[in-house]
Amino acid sequence: MMTEITILLVDDEAAFRQALSRRLNKRGFNVLQADSGSQCLSMLNNHSVSVIIMDVKMPEMSGIETLRQIKKKYPDKVEVILLTGQVSAQDGVTGIKIGAFDYLTKPVEIDHLAEKIKQANESIIRKEERIAENAFREKVAHQMAAAERLASLGTLATGIAHEINNPLAIINESAGFLSQILARQKMLQIPCRKEFELSIDKIITAVERAGKITHQLLGFARNGHSDYTRVDLPELIAESIDLLTHEMSNRNIDITTSFDPLSKEIMTDPFQLRQVFINLLSNANYAVGENGRISISTANHGQEVAISIQDTGPGIPANHIEKIFEPFFTTKPPNKGTGLGLFVTRNIIDKLGGSIRVDSKLNVGTTFRVVLPKCLEMQIKAFETENSATDWISHIKGESYHDKNSD
Amino acid sequence: MIKIPIKVLVVDDEKDFVEMLCLRLKETGEQTSFAYDGETCLDILAKSDIDVVILDIRMPGMDGIETLQKIKHDFPLVEVIMLTGHGTTETAVEGMKLGAYDYLLKPANFSELQIKLNGARNRKDEQEERIRRARTKLLLRKSGDI
Repeated sequence: MMTEITILLVDDEAAFRQALSRRLNKRGFNVLQADSGSQCLSMLNNHSVSVIIMDVKMPEMSGIETLRQIKKKYPDKVEVILLTGQVSAQDGVTGIKIGAFDYLTKPVEIDHLAEKIKQANESIIRKEERIAENAFREKVAHQMAAAERLASLGTLATGIAHEINNPLAIINESAGFLSQILARQKMLQIPCRKEFELSIDKIITAVERAGKITHQLLGFARNGHSDYTRVDLPELIAESIDLLTHEMSNRNIDITTSFDPLSKEIMTDPFQLRQVFINLLSNANYAVGENGRISISTANHGQEVAISIQDTGPGIPANHIEKIFEPFFTTKPPNKGTGLGLFVTRNIIDKLGGSIRVDSKLNVGTTFRVVLPKCLEMQIKAFETENSATDWISHIKGESYHDKNSD
Repeated sequence: MIKIPIKVLVVDDEKDFVEMLCLRLKETGEQTSFAYDGETCLDILAKSDIDVVILDIRMPGMDGIETLQKIKHDFPLVEVIMLTGHGTTETAVEGMKLGAYDYLLKPANFSELQIKLNGARNRKDEQEERIRRARTKLLLRKSGDI
């Protein structure tokens, strides 16, 4: 069935408008009326109109002038059919040049007009489709570019991390050797011993820090092995919270949990998932000030579970939201954040077959929502290699869960 | 108790790393030798008595995994600790399947390395002991037959 076409009839002669409107109504068109060019323009502001039928000869603003303004304001939203007197066909030609769909001479033959209206409407639909398609293409191209950028950044980062690990190892062993020498019996009384020890300690700590960064980088890029096992979700979350408790209690942060009993157990890689929770919780912890609140909840969604981590922090500005999952994007001071936490987090979640979303309101807080497949039907022994786990996830994602679970 | 030195062979193409690690191991009383590539590593194993090889996975030429396979084939009793720059356990796990004793991430923590070295040497001693016992049993049985 064709959707109703809305027409706007613009003519200064009320009698003509009424008559034509009635006849078009009978043919199933939805007809609006305007008695002048300016009324037409103001009506377009709040009515959705596909086709305008407009008299050229009108007092005040002429049909041609009105057409010009319509085309300027709505270049692709509405088609205009001009009605001209027989003696002024030249106006029609001018109108076409400006962008009118067609022109008809008065008196109009109603069948002919109805046919033109349908054609004009189809032209509008095609234009809209083209615009939507272009917008979609642009969006996809944008996403592809972002994905490619991430992929090449990933390759580059991995390469750099590898190259840096070797010199780091040399620094590490050299500093370690120095501290071994300091521990020799005959070295116990040397001058400036404290200063030597202090410096060596600093070198070793800095190497550890740098090593953490490179391993995190390499960790996201790994195509290795996920160890799937039955995981008690509340327990895993509690464990992750425990790891951060010390820091949180110092600043009087209130952390609450609420677990849906229907999504207690899932099949996943606990080590990687714990990393996800730790990353999200430390971000939340960093975001909330003293006396802030963090709440974690799980919710059952059939074969999936949703885990929300909500904080009462300042929120993420709109211009940062798009970038937060990119590598090396951080708003923390240089020695606080690597800019890899959320990047790694998203990569892990992708690998576990889930998704992550962020909702943030300035001055209210931020919620990260992780959705993971429960994978409970999964057999552990089938997952000796990473590939089979990935295959399995894509397998269940492509299939209806209910078939498998009907018993 | 007198410490019995572990005979360690460090194999890595990073010469400075090899040098420093050997110095540290000597400082803690171990006996060290070194090689900068897989081929030399195998040559040394053929000529000298080694307990544990510390083997880098990423090396030009014969890589760590290939070297490991050859070590385990030609010198099954020698224990191997893999060193990896990877944040991944993937290659390391492959190494474990091929018979490596354990693995460490680079830059490695020295006391962890020491613990693993001792564990590796103990495993080697136990294996040798088991073989000795089996041989003795075999000998005894043979002499019993006579």
